[in-house]
Amino acid sequence: MKKTILGAAFIIIISITIATFFFEQHPELTGPELNQRNEKLDTQEVKPPQPIPLQPIYIEDSIGYSLQNNQLQITYNKGMDWIVVPVDKVQLFAGEYNGNEQELIEKSYILTQNRATFLFSEGDRIKLIYSLNQGKTWEHTVVREEYLPIRFRKVAFLNESFGYVIISGDRTMSQEWNAVYLTKDGGKQWKETTHSNVTRLIYDGGFVDENTGFLSFGILNPVEPDLHVTQDGGNSWSPTVVTIPEKYHQIFVMAETPFKEEEHLAVHINQGPNGDYQGGKVKGKFISNDNGKTWEFSMEVLPNESDY
Amino acid sequence: MNPTINQKKKIGGWLFFLFSIMLFCAQMGYFFLQSRYNVEYTDNRIFYLINILILISLVLTIFLLFTVTKKWKMIIVSILVVLTLLLVGLMINHSKRINHIISISSDFKNVLVIKENRATGQASYYRTYYGIFARPKEMFPYRTIGEFKVKWLEKDIVAVTYKDSIHSIHQYIGTYGDRNEGSYSYVGPSIHGQWQTESVRLISDSEGITIDNNGEVEIYDWKNIVQFGTIAVVLMKNNEATLMNNNEAEWTIALNENFNSNSNAAIPPSGEITLYKATMDIIEPLTLVYEGEADAQPKQ
Repeated sequence: MKKTILGAAFIIIISITIATFFFEQHPELTGPELNQRNEKLDTQEVKPPQPIPLQPIYIEDSIGYSLQNNQLQITYNKGMDWIVVPVDKVQLFAGEYNGNEQELIEKSYILTQNRATFLFSEGDRIKLIYSLNQGKTWEHTVVREEYLPIRFRKVAFLNESFGYVIISGDRTMSQEWNAVYLTKDGGKQWKETTHSNVTRLIYDGGFVDENTGFLSFGILNPVEPDLHVTQDGGNSWSPTVVTIPEKYHQIFVMAETPFKEEEHLAVHINQGPNGDYQGGKVKGKFISNDNGKTWEFSMEVLPNESDY
Repeated sequence: MNPTINQKKKIGGWLFFLFSIMLFCAQMGYFFLQSRYNVEYTDNRIFYLINILILISLVLTIFLLFTVTKKWKMIIVSILVVLTLLLVGLMINHSKRINHIISISSDFKNVLVIKENRATGQASYYRTYYGIFARPKEMFPYRTIGEFKVKWLEKDIVAVTYKDSIHSIHQYIGTYGDRNEGSYSYVGPSIHGQWQTESVRLISDSEGITIDNNGEVEIYDWKNIVQFGTIAVVLMKNNEATLMNNNEAEWTIALNENFNSNSNAAIPPSGEITLYKATMDIIEPLTLVYEGEADAQPKQ
C-alpha cells in the first residue's frame, strides 16, 4: 500500500511538472480565431479592415503616394511598404476644391527623399505636416490660425531651411484674400509677409531665393500678365513691368513662377485658359536682368520645352 | 499513540490523497478541454494554485499515513518549498505577461473576463462557464494600452473603457442577457423617442441618436452606432483631433432591466435606459426616463 501511494504521488508530481512546462509553452493569449473556425468570420468583422494592395501615384522613381482606403499613405520603395500620413484625407481637400480626390492637389505637397510635406486645414487653422525621415516621425505646424475656405494652396522649399506657403481663399466673385508665409527653420515656424494689396484671384507664385519672390494674378479672362515681385523677403511688393511685343499682346497673359537661369531670371508666360495662339500651348519666355523688376521677351517655347 | 488519533490521521491522510487525485484529474481534464475546446481557466493563475494545492495535499497524505523519519521530513518539506516557490515564481511571471481583467456582477451571476497580452496589446473577451472556466469569444478590435475601467451598468451589462495604441477612447460592452425573451432586437429603434434626465436629453429617431448634454448637442447617425448583444449600443465619433481618422467611443446606452420596448404593441417603450459617458475618469452612469415621441418637441 505504501508503495502504491508513494508511486502515485511520484507520478502526480512528475505529471504536474510536465503539465506546467506545457502550460508555459502555451500561446500567450488564445484568440477565438486561433482555434475556433466557426467563429472566424465574426472576429474578422471586428478587426480593422485589411488594406487592399495600394497603387502608388509616383512622384519620382520609387517615391509615391496613394489616397486609397480613404487615407493618405506614402511609399519610398515602389509600394512595397506604406507609411500612413497621420492626416485626415478630408482635411487635405478642405476649402474650394472640386476635384475627385483621387490625387493630391498639385503644389499642396512635397514628396522627396528628404522631405514629405502636406498642407491641410484642421478646424479653424491651416497647418502643415512634415517628415524629414521618410515618415518615421511627423511634425505639425500651424501656418495660419484663422481659417477661411482656401482655394489656391502651394508649399515649396528652396533648401532645407527656407520654404514658403502661398494660400488664397474667401473668394467672392473675382476677388479674394491671399497670403504668403515664409519659414527659415525648415517649417517649424511660419511668418506672414506683408500683403501685396492685390485682391485679384491668384494664379501662381514662388520664391527664387530667400529675398526674391513673385505672385502672379489673374485667372479669369486675363488680358496681360499681372506679376508682382518682392526683393526684400516679403516686406514690400511691387508690380513688375513686363514688356510684351505687340505681336503677343493679349496672347501671353498669365505668368508662371519665375525661375533662375544662368545669370538672370526667366519666366514662362502662358496663354491662359482661352488662348488659341498656335494651338494655345505655346508660351512666351521672358528674361529679367534686374532680379525680376522688368521683363523682356526672349523667345517662344513649345510645350515640351517648357518643363523646368 | 492513542488509537483514535491514529485513526483520525489515517482518515485525514486518505482524504488528502483523494483530494490530490481529484485535483490532479481536474488538471489533466483541463488540458484535454483546453486543446479540444479552447477552454481556459477564468484566471490562468488558477493552474498554478491547483498545482500548489496538489503538492501540499500529497505531502500531508504522506505525513498522515506513514511514519516518516526526521531526515525524510526535512527532504520532503524542502522539495515542497522549492516546488511551491517555483510555481509562485511562474505565476508572477505569467501575471506580468497576461493582464487579467476579472469582474463579478453584483448578483454574482455574471463574470467579466478579459485577458490582455501586455506585450502586444491584444485583448480577448471571454465567456465564462461555471465560474472558473472561460472560452475566448472575441478579440478586441483595437490594440489596447494602459488601464481598463470596468463598470457594471446593470447586473447583465458591463462597460469596459480603455484606450487604444493612439490613445483614443473605446468602450467594449459585455452583455449577459436580453430584454425581449430571447428574440434578436435592435437597441436603437427600440428606444425610439425622447429620453430625459436632469441635464441630458437623448432622442432616438430615424436619423440616428441625438444627445443634448447641457446644451451641447451631438448627433450620431446609425453607421456610427455599434450594437453589443441585444441590450447595449456604443455611440462612436470620428475624432478629427487625433488626425488619424480614428473612431472614438463617446457614449454607451444600455437598456435597464425594467425596460420594455413594447415593440409588438402600439404603445411607447417603458422603463429606463442608462447613458454612460466614455471617459477614463470615474463617473456615474445616468438614468434616463421616457419623455415622449421624438417629434413631440423640436430638436434643439
